[in-house]
This record gives sequence, C-alpha cells and structure tokens, in this order.
Amino acid sequence: MTNDRRNPTSADRLWLGLLVLSVMLTIAGRWFPWLSGFPTGWTLPVSQWANAAFLPIFEFARPFGRSTTPVIEAVLGAIRAGLVWIPWPAAVLAICLVALRACGWRVMVLAALSLLAVVGIGYWAQAMNTLALVLVSVPTSVVLGFGVGALAHRLPRLRPLIEALLDVMQTYPAFAYLIPLLLLFGFGPAAGLLASVVFAVPPMVRNTIVGLGAVPAEIIESAAMAGARPGQLFWQARVPVALPQLLIGLNQTTMAALSMVIIVAIIGGFDDIGWEILSAMRKAEMGRSLASGLVIVLLAVLLDRMTSGIARQSRLRRAPPIAGRNLVIGLLLAALLATGLKLAGWTLLPGDGARSLFRHLDLWLLDFVAWSAPAFALLRNAITYGLMLPMRLGFSGSASPMVWGLTLTPAVTAGYVAVALGLVVLAARRSPRAAVATGFAALLFWSGLPGFPWTATLAIVGAAAWRSGGPWLLGLAASGLLIAGVSGLWVPMMQSIYLCAVAVVICFALGGALGIAAAQSDRLSAVLRPINDALQTMPQFVFLIPALMLFKVGEFTALIAIVLYAIVPPIRYVEHGLRTVRPDVVEASRQMGATPWQMLWQVKLPLASDAVRLALNQTVMAAVSMLVIAALVGTRELGQEVYVALSKADAGRGLVAGWIIACIALVADRVLRRRRAPPSHATLPEKT
Amino acid sequence: MTRTLALGTTMLVALSTLSAAVAADLGAANEPIRLAMLEWSGAQISSQLAGKVLEKAGYKVEYVTAGNYPHFTGLADGDISASVEVWLNNVGEVFPKVLAEGKIEDIGTLGLTTNEGWIYPKFMEDLCPALPSWEALKDPACVGLLATPDTLPNGRFLDYPADWGSRAATIIADNSLPLTAVPSGSEGAMIAELRAAASAKTPLVMMFWAPHFILAEVDVGWIAMPPCTEDTNEHCIKAPDVDKVVWSGFAEKWPAAYEILKAFRVTTEDQQKMMLALDNQSGTLESVTDAWVAENEAIWKPWIDAGVN
Repeated sequence: MTNDRRNPTSADRLWLGLLVLSVMLTIAGRWFPWLSGFPTGWTLPVSQWANAAFLPIFEFARPFGRSTTPVIEAVLGAIRAGLVWIPWPAAVLAICLVALRACGWRVMVLAALSLLAVVGIGYWAQAMNTLALVLVSVPTSVVLGFGVGALAHRLPRLRPLIEALLDVMQTYPAFAYLIPLLLLFGFGPAAGLLASVVFAVPPMVRNTIVGLGAVPAEIIESAAMAGARPGQLFWQARVPVALPQLLIGLNQTTMAALSMVIIVAIIGGFDDIGWEILSAMRKAEMGRSLASGLVIVLLAVLLDRMTSGIARQSRLRRAPPIAGRNLVIGLLLAALLATGLKLAGWTLLPGDGARSLFRHLDLWLLDFVAWSAPAFALLRNAITYGLMLPMRLGFSGSASPMVWGLTLTPAVTAGYVAVALGLVVLAARRSPRAAVATGFAALLFWSGLPGFPWTATLAIVGAAAWRSGGPWLLGLAASGLLIAGVSGLWVPMMQSIYLCAVAVVICFALGGALGIAAAQSDRLSAVLRPINDALQTMPQFVFLIPALMLFKVGEFTALIAIVLYAIVPPIRYVEHGLRTVRPDVVEASRQMGATPWQMLWQVKLPLASDAVRLALNQTVMAAVSMLVIAALVGTRELGQEVYVALSKADAGRGLVAGWIIACIALVADRVLRRRRAPPSHATLPEKT
Repeated sequence: MTRTLALGTTMLVALSTLSAAVAADLGAANEPIRLAMLEWSGAQISSQLAGKVLEKAGYKVEYVTAGNYPHFTGLADGDISASVEVWLNNVGEVFPKVLAEGKIEDIGTLGLTTNEGWIYPKFMEDLCPALPSWEALKDPACVGLLATPDTLPNGRFLDYPADWGSRAATIIADNSLPLTAVPSGSEGAMIAELRAAASAKTPLVMMFWAPHFILAEVDVGWIAMPPCTEDTNEHCIKAPDVDKVVWSGFAEKWPAAYEILKAFRVTTEDQQKMMLALDNQSGTLESVTDAWVAENEAIWKPWIDAGVN
C-alpha cells in the first residue's frame, strides 16, 4: 500500500508536468502578457454568428410554433379553469382518495395535511394554477420522453447522440433559451411551459432506456414463441415489465417539471406561485416569498410521494387499501360536495390572515439584521479575506497594506516561493500526489483563479478531459474555453468557476461534516431530512432575500445562496455512503482496535469513496445550476451575462453564455464521475 | 295608454340607436383588452385603474401578469394590448426596436412626477455632515464608512442591476469620486439592502428612483448631484418619463378605449397613497383601486365622455 503511494504513477507524472508548465507560464506571463490573460485582441463576434445562424431557423419555425401556441394555451386554460372551479374541500377529498388508492394511508394523511396547509397559507388558487402547468408539462414530457427512449432502445446506434443531447438539456440554463422560445411561441405561458418540458424530458428518456433494456430475454422469448407480433411484443411484454422503471421516470420528470415551472413567471401571463415568488423577490419580502416557497415544497413533496408511491405499488403488486368501487363512490361524493358548495356559493377560503402572519417574519428579520449586523459583518470579512480574495485576486493581487499588511516587494515574493517550496517538499514525503496538489494550491493562491494563466488552464482542463472522456470530451472542453475566450467572456467564466469552486469547498467542508455526524446519529439524520427536502425543492429565489439582508449585494451573498442550495448532496451522499459500508468490515476493524477517529478516516470514508465522489459531482452540478439565479444579487460572471442577454432579447448572446455554463457543468460532471456512473438524476431520494 | 306605449317605443328606439352609435365607437367591445400587470406595485396600481376605467366605459378587461422586458415582445405581437406604466429609462433593447418598426405606439405620458438619482438612508447625515451635497462623497472619512473588502480603498456605491446599464459609474468617473459602482443584480436586492441598511444603521449610497413604495417605509435623502459634464443620458441623470404604450392595432380595434387611455393620468400622490396602503396591508390591490374609482368619478368620467363621443 505505502509502496504504491510513494512510486509516482503515470498520472502523477502528467500532473507534475502540468504543474511545471503552469509555473513556467505564470512566470513567463510577466513578460509576455498574452500568455497569462486571454489576449483582448483575439475576439470574434461569436454571439452575432449565433444570431445569424439561429435567427433564420427561428424565423422559419415561427409559424409552426405560433400555430401550436393556441392549442397549448387552450388545453392549459381548460385544465386551469377546471382546477380553479372546483371548491377546495371537494378537490382535497378527491386527491386524498386517489392518494389512498394509489399509495396507502400514510400518503393520504400527508396529502390531506399538505393541501390543508396550502389552503391555510392562502395560496389555493395560485397553487391550482401551478398544478395546471405541471399537469400539462408532465404528460407532454412523459410522452416525448417515452418516445425518444423507445427510439433509443430500438436504434442503439443513436444512443450516444441522444444521451449527449440529454446532458445538454439538463445543464443548459433555462434562462438562456427563453429568448428563442419567446421568438418561436410568442409571449405567454406556452414558452415557459416548453422550457420546463425541455428540462423535464431527460429523466423520462433515461428511465425508459434503462427499463426497456432490463427486460429479461426469457420473457421476450416466451412471448415471441407464443406468437406475439413485434407491436404486441413491445406493448404487451416489454412495457409492462419495464413499468416500475417507467414510473420512476414519471416521478423524476414530475419533480423536474415542478422545479422549472417557476421559469414561467419570468415571462408572466399566468397568476401562479412562481409569480408570487418573483413579486416577493422583487419587493424583498421574505415572509411572502417563504410562504409561497413553502407551497411549492408542499406540492413537491406530495407529488413526489404520490408518484413514487404509485411506482412502488406497481412493483410490489399489493392490493390497494381501498376497493375500486369505494373509490368511485368517494369520488362521486366529492363531485356532489363540489356541486353543493357551488350552488350554495361558499368558497370557504380563509382570508389573508396567514399571509399577514408571514409578513411578521419580515419585521423579525429586520430586527435580527439590526441585532446581528456586527457578527455577520465579521463572518463576511473573515470569508472574504480568508477565502474569496485569495481565490479571486491571489496573494499577488491582494498583497496590499490594507489586506495583508504588506506590499509585494521582491523579498516578500522570495519568501512566498520559499514557503511554498518547503510545503511541497514536506508533502512529497507523504506521496508524490500530495506534493503536486500542494504545488498547484500554492500557485493558485499566488495568482488567484481568474488570474491563472489561460494557457495553463487550457492545458490542465484539456488533459483532465482527455483522460476521462477521450477526444469528444476534450473537444467539448476546448469549445467552451475557446468560445469564452474569443467572445470576451474569459474573465466572467473564470469568475463563475471561482464562485462555484469556493462554494463547493464550503459545501463539502460543512455538508460533509453534517453527513458524517448524521451517519452517527439517527436523531440528527431525522432532523436533517426534511430540511434537506425543503432546501432542494424550495425555489432557489427564496434563499436570496435573507442572504441579501445579512450580507449585502455582491459575490459573497451569491456564494451564500449557492451554498444553501448545493450543500444538500454532500450531506445526503456522505451519510448514505457511511451508513451502507459493509458491517463486517467495520466489525473487523473494531476488533483490530481501531479508534472511532481511525475507523472514520481510514476505514469508513475510504470504503464510501464512491458515494463521496458522487457527492462531489452532484455538489458541483447544483452549484453550477445556481449561477444564473445567484446573478440576481449582483455578480459579474456568466449568470449575469445570461440576464443581460435576456433583457436585451439577444438570443445569440444568451445562447453563447449558456453554452459555456453547460460546458463547465458537463466537463466537471464527466471528469468527476470517471469511476462510476451515478444513479439517474433524482430530486428527492426515495423514502421507505 | 297608447301614448305611454308610443313614448316607451320611441325611447327604446332612441336608446338602441344611441347604444348602437356608442358600440360603433367602442369597437370590438366583446373582445377583452389585455392589460399588462408588471412586477412592481406602482405599475399594478396604474394598470388596475386603467382597467377599471375601461370597464366603466363598457369594455372587457383581462390582466396579464408579465415581466418588464419580455412584455414588449407581447405588446409588439398584440398578445398584450396595452401597458400603461412604461419607464422609458428602463426599457431594454426590444422596445426601441419595435417602436421604430411601428409595432407599438407610445400614446403619451402617464402623468407621474418622477425622480431619479442617488439616495442614502437619512441617518447618514449624522455620519457625513456635508450630505446631501455630493461633496460629502469626496470626504475620505465619509467614503471610509462606505468601503468594503470588495471595493477597498474606494467606497461602495450600489448601482442598478447590470442589465439596466450603469450610468452611475460614468458619473463617478466624470467627477473622479473615490467610489466603486457595484451592480445590484435586481430590484429586490436593492430594496433588501436599503431596508437592512436603515435597520442596522450601516452606511449606504445607491442609485434609485421615485415614486417607489419603499420610500414610504424608509427615510432617505437625495444627493444634490454635481453639475453634468455633458447633457446626455449617460452623463446626466434627469427625471425619467413614464409613458403609456399600446399595440399598433389598438386604435383600430378599440377606438374609444384608445382615446380613453390617451387621456388616462395617474398622479404621484394618488399612486403613493395606494402603494402605502398595499405595503402596510390596509388594503388589497382590488380594494384600493376600487376606492379610487369610486371617489374620483369627476376625474375619469370626462375621459370616458371625451373618448366615447
């Protein structure tokens, strides 16, 4: 084991070479500035090209898009009118009955409680409008996803292409393709709805491919021998066997659609919860945004439990707890109730009482801000000086009397180099890999991430991409980096990477610690679970207001908002990984006399390394997906570029910035999950 | 008996001809006029008032919640019929384009008395006695209070969101003030920060505009600006115009409504009163605008009369 670590592998040699190259480029950059900052003269009008390429296509497809808009809006309008017409007591009764039939008593109680809470908060009508959006978006996504998945199953040669497309659909920021959708489908909810379909289709496709592929060959054979035609074989043998997996796809698609319907509100034209959240964000009312965010969380948890409950029932083939006849009677009763209430003219909706209760939260928040301002200013300064400035400007950029108490004299530079070399030598005694890592850290701390030579960045990212994904990943990485360079977005891109990197470091330190603690204590785990659920389903906008009040506009607040959203994966996966370590190994090391500390660091965490790696991957993806939202609190990175493009209705500019963000996410995903493919993208983990 | 009947008939005939004449002027009165409901409370009030006046004239009105920038696309296509509170200092790039193409029509001012400039929470006058003069921002002691790690050694100036354009940075440069303009990302971010600053007594100088509901809640001062170096929008802040904008087909489809909207005005005082009521929850958007319509028939009746005849 020790021998292995001390002898450099080929990977170590590669990284050592890259380190030497980076140091040389950093030094050379002092005399040849074009080596370190992306040359400003090398710009190409990429976004204009994108416009020139895409706008004619949009223009051509516009009549088609425009003619489907009324159809979509008519369906949406009908569903919406129906949902808003039904008095809430009847609707709650009906949904509870369906929940009981499909998933059992526990989910029914959950349904009753959460729906009553929605009524109590005072957002019933808006919640029904949001539900109408989901009810159009989900079936569309499911049908499309199933179709594409079945096609990929029939024609395996298409699969790599389809999977690449799915990756792009899941990582491309929706704000960036809103303008094209507006051009195609006109102003109104249809454009936003289709944005949510783009995001919600991929999980259905993935699950369809997995489900259809996992049907045992014997079943197909016996069906074929029984004389089934190809169509029958597909619909009567394959699909029923794959149904549980397809229903998992339905569950994930529903969650994805719900998380995205907020986007509809950016365009407007629909009085839904997303609009409430956006208006509250605009007026900086935390109570109102929290209340409406809570409604989304309740809807999400309910839809999640119901769809995953249906998936589980179909797997277990249990008898439903309520007979079909009783269900019909119950539904008739609900209809009767609805008619009765309508005739009597009772809405039974509570007034704005609860909402004004939520408004008190704002006053408390203000008091809290006044009371805690010095403490939070201290925290902000500590992280800004300790982590953000060094990562952004580097030691060389931030060495001023005001920050470090010294100026950058040759003596200071020499001292820095000496300390760095000392640390590298010290680390080399542990392993070559540690030495190289220390070297990179020292270099990064010197130049800062945005100031890191672009040539070295290109070499490092290229090498990492080549090693994990071969030529096509290298091509993807190079396309992202070079497009960023020539469109003058190199610095914003590095700012984005830097913001995500700092957020991931914090998430991993904090979330990892919480995950480790939760793995030891069932009570903490039970406390964290609903918090995690809420953090992940709460619309991301809601995090912004309290963070703003405590930490002011700027990168730091953006960082806090990103951390709040991206901290969930490390907590979940680290806990899950530690809890599923094989008990016999743990027992064996206990008997060998391992202390709890040794047990954690030398036995459990190494064994859970797959889960830890997956946590890292998911944290990075969550952080990148939060960039565009975080731009609302004032950042200067790619997310902001997407907004600027949206406000100027410049489709090309948004598409270019979006493509760079998608590239960052895709390359990071591939490089980080090299060892093992993660399970399909899930918003909420399955509960038992 | 016959006489009364005859009289009745004549009256009926007269009435029906009258209503026929009106209907012709109303245009497509059975097709709803779709008014934009934008994100901020001022615009929502203006749009509700316009809608209620149009309803009094016999129109059907639908309110379409819409984002400020995207809604110009809707106006140009006729998906939205009219938008009554368009701040011409913040229209993005679609507006000038579709206006030039003749897809939308600017039908004149809404009548608001507006203001735009640099503001600070009132307590800062104790910390920087030279306020409200802009000279206070040259005083190192005052600038030091505004400095943050991001802007050191300069003071921090909270600017409009990046997508609204940054005139403040230009003006800071024109007067070589020791300030760094930091883009705020969104309106909500600006309000949150102003509230927090007033509550925690942390110094702040920012770009802002009036009328705005937050000004009823937080006591602010307006900085007396330095003289402009150039008389252009970039170098000089002036009170912005707020106009009403309709889809190009509006006048033809609803001729009377077009005239009514042209005459439609909202005063700053009225709007601020309603915004305050909304903000402290003494009324809903429905109730405050209903109350205005009930109390101000003398104001809106002439608009309808002039429009319909």
